[in-house]
Amino acid sequence: MANSVNISIEAPIENQIQEITYDGQEIYQAPLSMSENLARLAQKIDFAKSDDDYCTIKKEPEVEVKSEEDSKEPGYQSSQWPWDSVRNKLRDALTQVCVLADVLSIAKEKRYMILDPIQAEQQDTRPMLQVYGRKKALGAAAAVLLAGVERLRASETMRLSRNMPDFHIDLLRLRQNWRLKKVSNTIVGDLSYRTAGSKFSQTGVFEVTKAPEDQIAQAMSLNAAGPAPSALRVAVPPELQGVAFISVLCQKEQEDVVTATLSSSAVNCPGSMPGEGAELHWQQKLEAAQNVLFCKELFARLAAEAVQLDASIPHMVVGNQIMATVLPGIQLLIGLCHNNAQNSNSSNPDAVKPEGTAGKSEHDHVLEHSLHQLLRAVHHANTHHPFPHPATGPLGPSKRRCLAGPMAADRYELLDMSKEQSLLEQIIQQAQHFFMRRRSEYVLDTIAKEVKDPLIVSHWNALNSPTQSCVKINIMASGYDAVCRTSLVVHVGEKTLKCICRDGKVRHLSYELQELRDLIYCQIYQHQMTAVQAVGRCMGWQLLASSSHLGSGPVEPLGNASSCLLASPNGDRMIAIRCEPSVGMQVFIAQSPRKDFFSSELVQDKKWENLGGAFKEIKLDKMEGKNFLNKMELLMACLSSPS
Amino acid sequence: MGVTVLQQYPVPENKTGTYVIELLTKRLLALGATQQGQFLVDCESFLSHPQMGATKTVHILHNSEQPASVFSILESGTKNIHVVADGLFDLFMMKLAQHYTSKKQTKIESKGPRFELGDFCVKLGSVMMNQTFKGILIEVEYRPCVMANAVWSLLREFLQGLLGASVPVSPPQHLLSRMHEIYTPVDTVHQYLEHFGQYRKVTGLRNA
Repeated sequence: MANSVNISIEAPIENQIQEITYDGQEIYQAPLSMSENLARLAQKIDFAKSDDDYCTIKKEPEVEVKSEEDSKEPGYQSSQWPWDSVRNKLRDALTQVCVLADVLSIAKEKRYMILDPIQAEQQDTRPMLQVYGRKKALGAAAAVLLAGVERLRASETMRLSRNMPDFHIDLLRLRQNWRLKKVSNTIVGDLSYRTAGSKFSQTGVFEVTKAPEDQIAQAMSLNAAGPAPSALRVAVPPELQGVAFISVLCQKEQEDVVTATLSSSAVNCPGSMPGEGAELHWQQKLEAAQNVLFCKELFARLAAEAVQLDASIPHMVVGNQIMATVLPGIQLLIGLCHNNAQNSNSSNPDAVKPEGTAGKSEHDHVLEHSLHQLLRAVHHANTHHPFPHPATGPLGPSKRRCLAGPMAADRYELLDMSKEQSLLEQIIQQAQHFFMRRRSEYVLDTIAKEVKDPLIVSHWNALNSPTQSCVKINIMASGYDAVCRTSLVVHVGEKTLKCICRDGKVRHLSYELQELRDLIYCQIYQHQMTAVQAVGRCMGWQLLASSSHLGSGPVEPLGNASSCLLASPNGDRMIAIRCEPSVGMQVFIAQSPRKDFFSSELVQDKKWENLGGAFKEIKLDKMEGKNFLNKMELLMACLSSPS
Repeated sequence: MGVTVLQQYPVPENKTGTYVIELLTKRLLALGATQQGQFLVDCESFLSHPQMGATKTVHILHNSEQPASVFSILESGTKNIHVVADGLFDLFMMKLAQHYTSKKQTKIESKGPRFELGDFCVKLGSVMMNQTFKGILIEVEYRPCVMANAVWSLLREFLQGLLGASVPVSPPQHLLSRMHEIYTPVDTVHQYLEHFGQYRKVTGLRNA
């Protein structure tokens, strides 16, 4: 170690920092004085340790107890005087030494006390017996271990040789997707939606076991080509076995409401999943069971709401079916279809054939999906509370409710907040909207079919909400869409329609379709009148008069008759158009002055001819032209010619 | 939430408070008002501990019209600071009991029937302090409007019609500076505090 360098280590001269003020200044502790330092070091001496040693030598438990008691007391008093504990400890030691000295002096006299050696405990000194005993015990333990190893090796070699699946790998995969825990000797899992925010009381406990090897071998021999069977078996409680779904049907009201359609929907429910005979994979099995649980929760919730809600036409809950009236004459049927494997086996097999389902309405997948979505939204809301989470206040009320206090909301606002739409109400609204949308589509399509002139084009918005959609209707004539087009927008709601017309007027219509039909017809005739005026303007004709609500003529069943009067550019011809929604368009022409004038006794001067003559009706259907506007254009062109 | 005006109604010499309330109820019903339950406005005052320097007073008020809110007004010399909080504020004041002591004997409240008459909401309150009847406070709210200056003449006319010409009707002190601002529920609470302060000073009236 010739090259070694001496390193001196010493404590820094700096004192300990007691406090750092906010401006960064450091306040140091004053260094300890010599006496203080001594006191501090003396405090550190562990007298108890030496006490213990002393006690073990003496083997006097009384002394030990006493010393412990003593050592506690100074702890309480130490705040009074720094040397207190040291003094007490020393005093104890002195007492003990004195007692020891006394005992020794008495023992030396040998009159009152004699020290005898304590007899050591007699030990079982038969070494061979011990050796045999130990050997036997070790042999038993080794046999257990060897048997285990043998079994493991056998199963491993068999697994490798026969390509058997590994239980633990499967368990690991199961663990990645499902909640598992070990209860004593069994592995138990939970497939309920509790952790996702569900508050449904039914549990979804399943048990995981190892599949018997012979079954795996059998399954492997059956389908060698398919995927390897799992070494896991999951046991699902019987009430969650099978397949379940929520059937949603919308149908016309029937006389025998109770026997409505459950039979048909139950028939449609597949009794078993594909490949039930061969054991299902655990993943599919668990997913199916989870779905059953979800459907049960959904139905239980809907049924409870159906009973609680007081609708004008009360909802009915019969067995596993809920009936609600959506619109007059239309019912919504929500049923829980759950086919256990046992049930389908016991029921007669010819129930499988679909009978009498043709006439009945189909299962509505969209509404079923909406129901699932609604319940999942409820689950989500149960676990995701709006931020910020108060440190003290209750967790759970909506953000609006949290702010209601500080914003001094009055009782009406609070009442408003407490209202909450139930799932059933929401699904009924969606069903209502669905019907309104379908009916409006039907009305618009039939009108478009019925009325060829002008054309009616409806654009449905692709983006809509489950309870609101919007359609834009354009009315125009082919070839004249640049001249005049009438557009209106219809908002389809839950039970009402809102029509916004071209003139900005808003009309609210009920669920009765005739209203929409009438409105569109009125719009069509209004369009024809404005379009013919626009064409006239293009042709240089002059609008003399127009009225959209004529008081003359027979009373119309819908709207009023309208008319307009157009004059040719040089003023000698006139066209009068009258439009009655119930009759159609009528066109009259008049000419003044007539080209040939014959003076009579009454009219002697040609100037009187300028007053205008009698109108003659034109037979529109006999005219050339592909639509009304085209005919009018031809007519105007013809009448404008300076012949 | 509209503009509210609070008005004291004098109790005649030889009459009781119940009599006056009944009289006004009859008048209101004759006008066509309908009774919509009861109302209650209460006020409790807390004094700060002398150790904290100058003594401050915190008034805690509840109004049944805003059932989720607790109004607190801190009197600190020239300026009054108000805080509107939710129901937990009461528990918070209990935590502050070391620093703010409640003056139990000054707990004062106004309660009585609540009437609705078209756009108006009228509340006839008997003011009680420690079970002693102190007087009658009439609250009139015109709900469609939130600007005091726009609706003051209407409210005055309504009050004069209801209370009779003998009662002088003037805009509340608190509202004078806030005639052109949007009326808030806190303004109602300020008015109540003003009147409660006046009632606390007068010695007890006859029993109701």
